[in-house]
Amino acid sequence: MTFVQLAVNGVALGAAYALVALGFVFIVNATSAVNFAHGDLVMAGGYVAVGLGSLATLPMILMLPLVAAIMFVVGIAVALVAYFPLIDRPPATVFISTLLCGIVLQNLFLVLFGPQARAAPPLIKSGTVHLGAIEISVQALGTLAVAAALIGLQYLIFARTQIGRRLRATAQDRQMAQAIGIRASAVIACTFGAGTALAGVAGALLANQFFVYPTGGIPLSVYAYMAVVVGGWGSIAGAVLGAMLISIFQVVVSAYVSYAVATGLLYFVLLLVFFFRPQGIFGELVQRRV
Amino acid sequence: MIVGLCLMAGASNVASAADAYLPIVMPITGFLSVEGGSQRNGAVMALEQAPGGMKVDFPVFDTGTSATGAATALDKALSSQKAIAAAVTVFGTEMVAMMPIAAEYKVPLLTISGLAKITESGNPYIFRFLPNDREIKVAHARYIVEVMKKKKIALISDTTAYGQGGFALLQEDFGKLGTTPVFEDNSIAPDTKDMSPLLAKVKASGADVIALHSVATPMTLITKQLKSSGLNIPIVNSSSIVEPTATALFEPAELAGVCAETPSAPEARPTPAIKAWADAYLKRFNLEPDGLALGQYDGVMMALTLMAHGVKTPEDLRAALQKETYQGVAMTYKSNGHGDLSHDADIVCWDGTSRIPKIVGHYAGEQLILK
Repeated sequence: MTFVQLAVNGVALGAAYALVALGFVFIVNATSAVNFAHGDLVMAGGYVAVGLGSLATLPMILMLPLVAAIMFVVGIAVALVAYFPLIDRPPATVFISTLLCGIVLQNLFLVLFGPQARAAPPLIKSGTVHLGAIEISVQALGTLAVAAALIGLQYLIFARTQIGRRLRATAQDRQMAQAIGIRASAVIACTFGAGTALAGVAGALLANQFFVYPTGGIPLSVYAYMAVVVGGWGSIAGAVLGAMLISIFQVVVSAYVSYAVATGLLYFVLLLVFFFRPQGIFGELVQRRV
Repeated sequence: MIVGLCLMAGASNVASAADAYLPIVMPITGFLSVEGGSQRNGAVMALEQAPGGMKVDFPVFDTGTSATGAATALDKALSSQKAIAAAVTVFGTEMVAMMPIAAEYKVPLLTISGLAKITESGNPYIFRFLPNDREIKVAHARYIVEVMKKKKIALISDTTAYGQGGFALLQEDFGKLGTTPVFEDNSIAPDTKDMSPLLAKVKASGADVIALHSVATPMTLITKQLKSSGLNIPIVNSSSIVEPTATALFEPAELAGVCAETPSAPEARPTPAIKAWADAYLKRFNLEPDGLALGQYDGVMMALTLMAHGVKTPEDLRAALQKETYQGVAMTYKSNGHGDLSHDADIVCWDGTSRIPKIVGHYAGEQLILK
């Protein structure tokens, strides 16, 4: 397997991580608070996919909109429980409340689905395709396509629509947005819903090749946080790029050195980012949130 | 019978009405909760069927798959009442943390943990009802070298104590069998998702077989991604993949060419006794059984049988477990003087038509010792 093959594998995994990071940064932007239940919401999406897969023998691609819709509602519920009651408290309080929410979700998964890993149906079908000397699974190709479509869609919404402008206005200054007539609470709730829907879709995509299990979301929350730090706090493009870089870095260094070195180096690089470029690649100037 | 079982289950919550107290201290949550769940089921099934009409109180304590959690849980379990024994974790790291507590309270621990050193450290309160990894890894290595005739071996393990212990034993056993792996990697963390870097290195090494010793999650990911990578070489796993919850993650065709060592394979129902037990387990838990559940069932049932024959104290039970021979469902159990009572191992393989494996090799006694 060549470097190119490894890079392709890294990009395919990075596409799913990008969706996770994208949802994470949505919520960061809307609330100025880190949602550390995000990885567990990815797992929730995976469990929804597993459940839908057991009800109907359809390809997951046809069920993704339903997964997203269910997770949108879950996201609003999380906002109502873990964010709105604490909206005027310091960001650290919301951080703790989402962390606790994540632990509740993990135990809920354990009670409802048991400790064992589960696999969701493939997006279209199982198997691999050959692109010259490069081999890539159909699932990974599908993940790339879905991630690209959703990233493009969110760009259009944010850049070209009135809803997007309201979202951005609320993210920049909630009080000012309210003063000019934007229903900031509704916008924040919708942002929580949209971010969680993206997490749910990522979970459905990951749950076929990488399974879903109660504690599987913990590292995903950390990866999403790292992607946003590396890419630039609050930057949507940065979150996508950060997720891709992290995934490719892990895959390539693991292949040429070892998993242990890749993991250690990744966290060391994050430390360097904190020291030398805390605003990340595309970061905003509000560095205190990092 | 159902009424009787219900009465017994009810009695388990009323300590004062019970004849004995035998807590279950296992990883019910955390990354080893699948294995912990199986062994808990085995222990519960034995305790619900306690011979001689005994009523046993058996609260379940969760270790959380951590050494500190295990030590705390066992201390709590043993300090509250006078336990005659405890059915404890499959996880070697947790066992190491529990051993001093067993010695302090002088209570026998009934375990299925494979970590070799737990019965090699002179603690007289440890009793193991699955083969010591030192023995079962011999079956693993011998099948690859002597039956499959493979010489270019990729040896892989995860970073848990279980993984590291098995990795070292397989290295030693392959050496005794006259071969050295062409590729070795023991750095796979249990939460690793993408195995393509590992498989790239295996392919580059020219290996013609993978010997994998790992807990369930990384093992299933490696096996699944091996099958979808187009790298068409056989893989011989440790026993975690034999668990029905693990095989459920695969289409039957994906399991073609996959083998594993296991202390027993109750889901294959190879004998009438195992079939009867496996059917009862399926009815009780609505799950196919595995070797972990059966090993723990036999271990607890041996202790209960000794208690039904007059053993009253932890010290008497310790002495009896060390001395007596017991015909369990899976095999005959007899201590080697160090607390290892199980000395049988199977090799199972899947043919790609079903998730139920077939037994292709059996090793016992002297066959599990390499000189």
